[in-house]
Order: sequence, then structure tokens, then C-alpha cells
Amino acid sequence: MSDPIVQLSVEGCPLQVPATSSILQAMVAAGQTLVEGVGCMGQGVCGSCRVLVRRTGDSEVRTALACETLVEEGMQVAFLEYFTPAARHRYRMDELGDSWDALARIGEVFPEAEHCRHCGGCDRACPKGLDVQRGVNQAVAGEMAASAHVFDECVMCNLCTLACPEHIRPNHLGLFVRRMLASRSLRPSDLLRRLQEIERGEQAIDFDAPGARPPV
Amino acid sequence: MASGIPYDAARQRWQVGATPPKRADEVSVPDLLKGYHPDHGPRARVSLAVGVNRGDPCQPDFAGHLQANALIDDVHIAGAQLVTTDVLVIGGGGGGCAAALTAAKDGARVILATKLRLGDSNTVMAEGGIQAAVGADDSPQRHFEDTLRAGHFCGEPELVAQMAMDGPAVIRWLIELGMMFDLEDDDRPLGGKLLRKKPGGATAARILSYRDYTGLEMMRVLREAVELEPGITLWNRCPVVELLSDDHGRCAGAVVYNLEWRCFVLVRARSVIMATGGAGRLHLNQFPTSNHYGATGDGLVLAYRIGARLRELDSFQYHPTGIAYPRHLAGGLISEAARSAGATLINGEGERFVDELQPRDVVAAAILRECAEGRGIERGGQVGVFLDTPSLEKANPGILAKRLVTLRHLAKKCGHDAAEEPFLVYPTLHYQNGGVAIDRHGATGTPGLYAVGELAGGIHGRNRLMGNALLDIVSMGRRAGAAAAAQPADGGTLWGRAGIGHVHAWQRELTLAGLPLDVRAPQLFPTYAHFDLGADAGLGAGMPAHGVGGIR
Repeated sequence: MSDPIVQLSVEGCPLQVPATSSILQAMVAAGQTLVEGVGCMGQGVCGSCRVLVRRTGDSEVRTALACETLVEEGMQVAFLEYFTPAARHRYRMDELGDSWDALARIGEVFPEAEHCRHCGGCDRACPKGLDVQRGVNQAVAGEMAASAHVFDECVMCNLCTLACPEHIRPNHLGLFVRRMLASRSLRPSDLLRRLQEIERGEQAIDFDAPGARPPV
Repeated sequence: MASGIPYDAARQRWQVGATPPKRADEVSVPDLLKGYHPDHGPRARVSLAVGVNRGDPCQPDFAGHLQANALIDDVHIAGAQLVTTDVLVIGGGGGGCAAALTAAKDGARVILATKLRLGDSNTVMAEGGIQAAVGADDSPQRHFEDTLRAGHFCGEPELVAQMAMDGPAVIRWLIELGMMFDLEDDDRPLGGKLLRKKPGGATAARILSYRDYTGLEMMRVLREAVELEPGITLWNRCPVVELLSDDHGRCAGAVVYNLEWRCFVLVRARSVIMATGGAGRLHLNQFPTSNHYGATGDGLVLAYRIGARLRELDSFQYHPTGIAYPRHLAGGLISEAARSAGATLINGEGERFVDELQPRDVVAAAILRECAEGRGIERGGQVGVFLDTPSLEKANPGILAKRLVTLRHLAKKCGHDAAEEPFLVYPTLHYQNGGVAIDRHGATGTPGLYAVGELAGGIHGRNRLMGNALLDIVSMGRRAGAAAAAQPADGGTLWGRAGIGHVHAWQRELTLAGLPLDVRAPQLFPTYAHFDLGADAGLGAGMPAHGVGGIR
């Protein structure tokens, strides 16, 4: 009992693999050297295996993650080198200042964001189907929580950054908003209490407690 | 692997909603482990023949790597470019990033060298969460005792205590960097309580998480912080192939191989922090693994060669429920959460055969026994047992959609609906319990060399608790980073001779022990990466560096 075989072309090499293989698995089975563009091997969480894919009969070339995409008959695949333009503007979490100035901060670190052309390039590039463009626009509009939510499952593959003609770096803007929210507003009461107790010396380790030794 | 009962037959036999009683156990737990767990039994260990741990037990495949020859010799690095820095961090996962950020904040010049990209690690794949004793019903003391007990009391009490006490401060540090955590009540970030879950083997709920991709959330934030930190120079695609030592046996830096330019670079550093992670991709005992592509145990091999002592080298954690089918996802982790929620394990004869909430090593051994004795299920060349998620859904309608969302997504990737079809599961090589012996600053026995994270040993004893790994890497990463940055600027260290003298001594030891010199380590990449450093760098005499195909 075996799966049907599929023929596809990866990096110009014709491959024949079972139909149940992912593109990444096809690459591994091809016996070629593979030392980049590979990482979590199918969990879909590291964003390293970015590929350009063209399916038979489809004129559009799409982006995808190779470890999450099944092979198809006649598919053409090229791996995208990991090259991402460096950040234009750095920021420090401890220099964000007053939260009333949040929009000003966004404007300083991501000045391109308010010039979004609404071309949808980021949405089309995203291998996770996130509403990237909406997330960018929400950040610029000050809708922090909504923008942060859009980028919840972002794996920072940087495909949207590569796709954006305005050089907005959408995923990094989303991450900036998320970091700002967490570092400014997350103050769980149980954590605060425990930190206070530890500071006061009320929590200490007893190395001689019965639970610290193997049962006799 | 013994063949199993064909999938179609086993599928027919299995009934959704049927709750078969657990088969009566004729085998005691110690006998089960001895008979079937890879850590136990007659072929579980060999004695190391060379090095600081000579005579100590070690997993056999692993011993082959530890006792191998170096990848390079003096002639290969003779003309290499030389770079100096204060702190060299090797490894771009959570541990490496925590160390680099702390060292840089303390004023050190840091180079962070990664084999793949920054963030490509086991950290980013972690789902469950991070332990911290924040609950009013909990305490660092309980966390300390739970960890010691789970590790069979082999952990160093001082190290475990330190990690448990660090927990709350680590969470604060992560929040200050911008990491989110789930709360009991989502709209109460100011003054609400953190959502806590209980890990198997603990006496209190203390796993903090962000959805079921805590590792991704943590790694995103750490990676961004490192990339934005001016004091950290990031070298992607630069695996370390050997350490540098001085005349006193102190670690003086490392030899880095730049995969882009195919050349070696020598890095002289006051301190070297190794955070190279686990060794799952060595597929010890021929097991599939849940680990990241780069987890080939590089740091252990290099640390051992320069003379650092290791510990618990015969103790590895096999997670019971790795994906068995389809093959291209084999080894991938199915979270313990499914079993905690009540999902059962069913063999090819439709029987339950183990208490699913036993410790991981017991459940793993039980599954291995079923498959070895022909009661496993075979599908597409893969063998395993069923994880009965449909019965779980039938008993708790809606649970898959609400509490086990990632499990549902995973099932879809495997090609089925978790509410309709059971998973096929088989144990997967998951974590290295032991590693390089360290003190409370992460310093190894070799001056100038620190070890952080899964690479280090002495915290988790012989069995790690869920959620302690993410705490370990941040807690020890920060401590090692601070200690490394605090090393005095001693002109002697950076101006004295440094080279690979320790490799020559190692080669003499290998020869005296009768071990071959043509077996080399670290492997750097899994076997199926088809990467050979010799070919890639043109190390053979008269061999020009020729182009090799593939993605490199």
C-alpha cells in the first residue's frame, strides 16, 4: 500500500515524492544539501522555510512555508534566501516614555506606516493568512489592542516586510504594538504580591525540608 | 521495528465512546522500564573511554559523538580572520538571547553566533508554558521540591533552589521586554491573575503561558530585542566548529565557520557562553524527535573536548505522544494536555494498556512494549498506538474547539479531524536531561566557558518537569550573561596565545584509547542535511572548495 507519486520541481530539480509529503520533506528526500531555510520541520512556527510556489495552471506566484504546504503535481518551488532589510529606526523598551505619546512613538519608529497604499501585498504574502494590512492601519489609528490581536499568530517570517512597497515592516510594527501593550499594562496581582514577598525575604528555600530529600 | 496490526483492521476494532478498561498489568513498572525504556536495559549505556568523564555511563550513540575527533586542524585556520570581543554567545535560542541581552546591558561587547538564524531553536517550538511560583497557594519552596522529586533527586539542590526563586523575577523581566501572558480574565491586565496550569508531576498549578504557543511569543520578543540592541553583533549562519584554548586550558574563544562565505573566522573572547540546545536530531536509539533541525548536540561535544565535566549522559526524556503518521510530521509533539484532559491510549486490539497520567517515561515504555509485542498499529510504514481524541470530544463536547485548539490544527495538518479520527502516536526523543556541569553562574569546569539551557546539566536531574525548560534558559541565561560581562578586562587573556592545543591533547587521548581518528564531531547538521564540512570548506589536501547543490 503506497501513496500516489507526485512530480514537482524544487530549485530547478525535478523530484518525485509521495503525495503526502510537504515541500520541505520533498527537499529532504531529494538528497540535496539543506542547511538553511529549515527549522521546526513542520510545526509551522519558525518561519524559516519560505518558498515561492507556482501551481500548474495558475499564473500567480505565491509565497508559502514549505513545511506546511503539501506537494502538488507540476508544482514549481524556489526557496527564498533569508535576507531582510535592517531596521531603519531602533527603539528601546525603557525609552518609550509616556503612554499618551504612543502614536507619536509609532510615528517615530515606523514613519512609513501612515503612508500605507492599501495594496494588500502584505496580506497576499502572509503564509498564515493574517489581516496584516488591517493590523497596520489599526496601529496608526491608535487601536492598539486590535492591532496586537491581528499579529497574535505571526511567526515573523518577514514575507510581509519583503512585500511592502512602502517599506513599512508590518510584522515589526505589530510586534512593537504588542510589546508596548505588554510592558506597559501587564501587572498581574499574584506576580506583584510574590515579588514583594521575595523582596521582603518572606520566601526562602529550606534545603532540609522533608520534601527536599528522597523518601526513606 | 516490529510490524503492527494494519490500520484499517485496528480502526474497525476501535469504537468511539467505548471506554475499555485498562488491561490488567502483568508487568511491574520497574520491569516495564527496564524492558522497554531506551534509558534502561542491557544496551542503554556504555562507559566513556576518554575525557574528564572517563568511566561514566553514556548513551551509546552519544558516546560515539563525544569520543570523536575534531573537525579541523591548525592548517585550516592558519590564515583565518581574527575578531575580538568581550563575550561570545553561541546559539540563538532563548538561552543565548537572554545571555546576550544581559551581557550587553551590563556594558559588554557581544557577538551572538547562530548556526541557522537567530531564534531558530527548540525555544520557539515550545507550546506548554513556563513555570513560576506566583500563586497564593504555591511557593518557590514547593516548586523547588517538585523539581527535585521529578528529577529523582539527582538535581543539584542549590541550582534548583536558585531557579525556583528566580521564577517570578524572570516573568517580570519577560513582561518588561514586552512578552504577553494569558490571564484568568482577559480584560484585567492591571491587577488580574495569571492563568496557571498544573504540569504532570507537580503539586501546584504554576505553568504560565501565552495561548499554546508560549515559546513563539517568548522568542519573538527576545529576538526583536537582540536585533535592536546595538551592543550585540549578530552573526547568522555561523556555526562554531571548535573552541579556542590558551596555555592554561582556559577557553579563549572559538573557531566559527561562516556558511555564506565558506571560511573560518577566529573569535577571541574573554568569556564564551554556549547555549546550543539539545541533541534530538542525532536520533539516538533511532528515534524520531520533536526537536529543531539544529539540535545536534554541538555544544556538548565541544565542551567535553576542552575538558568540561558532563553529567547524566545516559538520561534522555522520550515524550510518549509524538506524531507517528503521516511520515513527514513524524516525531512532532502532541501536547500532554490531551492526556491531562482525559484522552486515552488504545492499541491495535482495541485495549487500553496503561494509566495515561503516569510519568512520561512510564507511558513511553508502555507504548514501546505494545509495539514491540505486535499490538501496535501499522499505517504507511509507521507504527504506533491510537490517541483517542474522538472519545474525549464525545465525553466533553466542545473541548477540542475551546481548550485544545492547537491539537485540532495539528490533526488537520495530519489530514484528519481530531473529533472524528484518533491520532497515531509513538514516543519521540524530546529532551536531554543531563549536560555540562555548571555552578550557579552557569560557569563550567573550564574557566572562561559558560553553559546555558538544555546544554547544561544538574537542574532537571534524570527527568525534566514540563515548563521548567523555558524557566531554566531565561534564569541561567541572565545569570551567565551577567557573570560573563563582569569578567575583568584582563589584557593577558586577549593578548596571550590561543589555539587548538586542547585538540592535539584530545587526539593523543583518542589514539592511546584505540579510538578512530576519522570519526569527527560535532555533526553540525542532521544526517539527512547532506552537509559535509570537509567538502564545503575544501578541507581535504588539494581539494578546492567546489560548489555543492541544494539550499546552502
